[in-house]
Amino acid sequence: MLKATLRSFLAHKGRLLLSALAVLLSVAFVAGSLIFSDTVSRTFDRLFASTAADVTVEPKDDLKSSVPTGAVQTVPAALAQQVAHVDGVVETHADVSVENIVVVDSHNKSVGPTTGAPTIATDWYVTDRSPVKLTSGHAPRGAGEALLDADTADKKQVRIGDTLTVQAQPGTFPVKVVGIATFTTTNPGAALVFLDPAVAAEKLLGSAGKATSISVDAAKGVTDAALKHRVGAAVGTGAYDLRTADEQAKSDAADLGGFLDVIKYVMLGFAGIAVLVGIFLIVNTFSMLIAQRTRELGLLRALGADRRQVRRSVLTEAVLLGVVGSTLGLAAGIGLAFGLIRLMSAFGMNLKATEMVIGWPTPVAAYVVGVGVTFVAAYLPARRAATVSPMAALADAEIAGVGRPLRMRAIVGSVVGLAGAAALAGCAAATKTASAASLLGLGVVLTLVATVIAGPLLVRPVIRVLGGAFPALFGSIGRMSQRNALRNPRRTGATAAALMVGLALVGGMSVASASMSKSFDQQIDKTLGADYVIQNSNFQPFTQEITDKVRGTDGVGLVVRQRFAPVAVRLPDGKRIKTTAAGYDARLDDVAHVTYAGGDTAAALADGALGMDVDFAKDHHVRLGSTIPVEFQGGRSAEMNVTALTDQGGGDGFGMQGGLFFGIATVEKYVPGGQDSSLYVNKTAGTTADQLRTRLEKTLDPYPQVQVRDQADYKKLVHDQIAVLLYLVYALLGLAIVIAVLGVVNTLALSVVERTREIGLLRAIGLARRQLRRMIRLESVVIAVFGAVLGLALGLVWGVCTQQVLALQGMSALAIPWSTIVAVVVGSAVVGIVAALLPALRASRMNVLAAIAHE
Amino acid sequence: MSTPVAEHPPDEVPADGIAARARGLTKAYGSGETAVLALDAVDVEIARGRFTAVMGPSGSGKSTLMHCLAGLDTVSAGQVWLGDTEITGLKERELTRLRRDRIGFMFQSFNLIPTLNAAENITLPMDIAGKKPDEKWLDQVIDTLGLRGRLKHRPAQLSGGQQQRVACARALASRPELIFADEPTGNLDSRAGLEVLGFLRDAVDELGQTVVMVTHDPGAAAHSDLVLFLADGRIVDRMERPTAQAVLERMKRFDVTRTQADGDGAAEEV
Repeated sequence: MLKATLRSFLAHKGRLLLSALAVLLSVAFVAGSLIFSDTVSRTFDRLFASTAADVTVEPKDDLKSSVPTGAVQTVPAALAQQVAHVDGVVETHADVSVENIVVVDSHNKSVGPTTGAPTIATDWYVTDRSPVKLTSGHAPRGAGEALLDADTADKKQVRIGDTLTVQAQPGTFPVKVVGIATFTTTNPGAALVFLDPAVAAEKLLGSAGKATSISVDAAKGVTDAALKHRVGAAVGTGAYDLRTADEQAKSDAADLGGFLDVIKYVMLGFAGIAVLVGIFLIVNTFSMLIAQRTRELGLLRALGADRRQVRRSVLTEAVLLGVVGSTLGLAAGIGLAFGLIRLMSAFGMNLKATEMVIGWPTPVAAYVVGVGVTFVAAYLPARRAATVSPMAALADAEIAGVGRPLRMRAIVGSVVGLAGAAALAGCAAATKTASAASLLGLGVVLTLVATVIAGPLLVRPVIRVLGGAFPALFGSIGRMSQRNALRNPRRTGATAAALMVGLALVGGMSVASASMSKSFDQQIDKTLGADYVIQNSNFQPFTQEITDKVRGTDGVGLVVRQRFAPVAVRLPDGKRIKTTAAGYDARLDDVAHVTYAGGDTAAALADGALGMDVDFAKDHHVRLGSTIPVEFQGGRSAEMNVTALTDQGGGDGFGMQGGLFFGIATVEKYVPGGQDSSLYVNKTAGTTADQLRTRLEKTLDPYPQVQVRDQADYKKLVHDQIAVLLYLVYALLGLAIVIAVLGVVNTLALSVVERTREIGLLRAIGLARRQLRRMIRLESVVIAVFGAVLGLALGLVWGVCTQQVLALQGMSALAIPWSTIVAVVVGSAVVGIVAALLPALRASRMNVLAAIAHE
Repeated sequence: MSTPVAEHPPDEVPADGIAARARGLTKAYGSGETAVLALDAVDVEIARGRFTAVMGPSGSGKSTLMHCLAGLDTVSAGQVWLGDTEITGLKERELTRLRRDRIGFMFQSFNLIPTLNAAENITLPMDIAGKKPDEKWLDQVIDTLGLRGRLKHRPAQLSGGQQQRVACARALASRPELIFADEPTGNLDSRAGLEVLGFLRDAVDELGQTVVMVTHDPGAAAHSDLVLFLADGRIVDRMERPTAQAVLERMKRFDVTRTQADGDGAAEEV
């Protein structure tokens, strides 16, 4: 029996090729993402482990904010001397390292990375732990000199002798590049500027007596943990965070981890799509192969093979396919990881492809995914194969599977579909985001499953309509292609399902993102009253100098600053919530339209006062007049009085929990040295908007990090950020389409083989090759468009329901991107044409006589 | 032993002309030492307006002859004409068009496109060509073949005999110069087979068509005007106004020669 299985596997290897390709793609993405993230983690673990001091003393900071404030937490530099006296300490160093700077060249172009990685200014201090070494020039001496890292110098074409401008919080100062420092370890992608340690603290922190952390070296024989304990006892742990080298490395890795996790999850998303779509392809391939082999299987049964043996034979074939596909996929995954590593280098993260890490979980995962997918996908067809009666060997049977009734599918499909529809209806009616989101998830899964199950039932009605014009447009060729697509609804349904899944996701996501864009537009229209907003495109805060220059620009009337502060509030319901609050200048009403449920702007921005979102207040039993303890960074705290509740239609406008805001004086008082995040600017009377823009742009010319935006620009900025999400979706779609095309090719190729005699007859009675190709192309197009229509219909429903969930977050507008939808339908027709190329070519090359005589 | 057809002078051809003709038609499979001659320099003329049957034992080359005459197969040597058109040397595309517009086909089985109904199958060659069928002629063909009530049926809903009648109607529908029928009764019971042969006869007598039928059934050949006998790739005999009995007798002689040839270990001159 095994011999028969192997023979059969080898005999059908051409037909299994595309299935193997689908397995390969899924496995490649799984293996690639694992290898990549392992490689990156190990590289950075090594980097952080080698650069962390034995013990590091940092300012206490339990209010890390996702929104940067620009404020730098410091420790007294004198702490270094204090720690140096602790028993077991060999050496201490007061580190100065800040990221709230911008460095520009002589053309006012930033030399920082464009990828969102930080520009770091630090003191030049040579130890074994330095990630860099001086490779040319000399160490910086005095305030006017600096070193630049080699990668940045290369990329931005900065040479020794060039002058750069460092825009630091205490003030802007020029430096001459006197040397280049090269990374000896992996460059995590940041730009590094090194200053003379003698001036670094003053230039970057505004005072020679400050440091950002203290590095402590342990004496021989003293463990990091023991030293940490002793240093802690000496300096007190109330105001400081102490970390051993291991802890520091872990903490650094965690900071970076978020970014790497994104890449990992994106990759796994691709793997998921590949697996999902691949399953359809494999199920379909095995179903078709078994249908074509009905007589052969019947013969095996007639010769005495029992059902279990037949089933096992088919499953063995599937496992063989899985093993081959996984092995190739693993190899492709290594290639993919290699490519990603190279890509990261292009973004400035110098990973070494030679140090690729392939841990044991990678091949295990690859084979589990590859073999598991094929096994699961082949299981149903294998069961069906086992039910072939020995009589099938004798009967000149119609192709199996065509005639079987779809009743079971109809019943299961409608039950699951109704459940899904109910979940989606529940989602639309829900008032709580959490329950709405989980109902949405459930509804999406159920409706997808229902559509896949009921797909073959929809083939007839939908394709009758879609291909309805074919006979009129293309005569009998059109008629035959339409009817060929209808011939085996199961097969057409399964083939189209692969495309459907991808397009349903895209449909849903594009409706959601279009709705988000539209909602933001409405929000901006409703709330933004300023003539111009001055802002960093990454919403990074900027130095005080920029605010001063803007204020001094001719034609600028009102400037309202926005500044963020991470806070923790203890609410009447007993919860402690960490969030970010915004501070504003008093005349907020002149640049923004805020709707209040109670109180007003003047009350909210008063000294000791606090405004918050009315729904948040309700949820946590906060009332107008409640007094709430608010903790700020650096251990400062205040009792604040809730004097205003905003009602911005559900949305807090900044995406920050609670929508907390207060006067900017409060921020300045509790978070000294912070930077402004946005400036809302109004013109003076007698200045036109265009004039003001020209002047502001001139003022801001030396500051490439910030841009002047009016309402339209601001909308575009928001749209661009949403578009990033959409690009990801399109990339996923691309992959789904590639696999779906493989599926269509597969189905057509097998159909062409099945219809050999028919094709021979058509050619004999005078169908030209060109016409035959057109017939197959049209069939392919109608299958693809069927998948697209089903997918988009499903996606639209999902998108509308998603918007209902978003509406609970204040994104109340619904937008359906019809142009995208039309483009997708047209695109799917193109997909059909592409998929038909090879099968059509193969059909048209058939020898007429051989085809007629084909058994 | 009768004279090979090639030795008949051309003027014996009936006055209403020649539908198809081959000169020195040779078809070899393989090459060099192992080459097998399916047709060995065959000269043949198919008279217009007549029902010609091609007979011969298995492997005699009768199907190959039909395929070459119909432009379905390429020839190794020699020339083939359909009417005045030399089809040897025509390009694939021209051959396809020629089959579509000027030749009708009937095969032993699998004659119809399963997705099309009877009416659509009948007009398929004209639909492919983008031509309007001649409605009057079409009606006449459909009525002659008694298919009026079956036009909306799909092939799967028709009996074997009905399917062959639809195939016959398709072959006639575009009023081709020549209809080739390859064992058209091979898959039918005797009653349905007789019916189909009767229609082919009617097509010649009443509709003025030209039919060439390949068969191995003497009873079927008896419906024709002329039987050509093929053996070992050559036309070895011809029989005008055949009867089943006469054809059967002639065929038996093949068996005898073959047995003798096998027995003597030497090929007999035919």
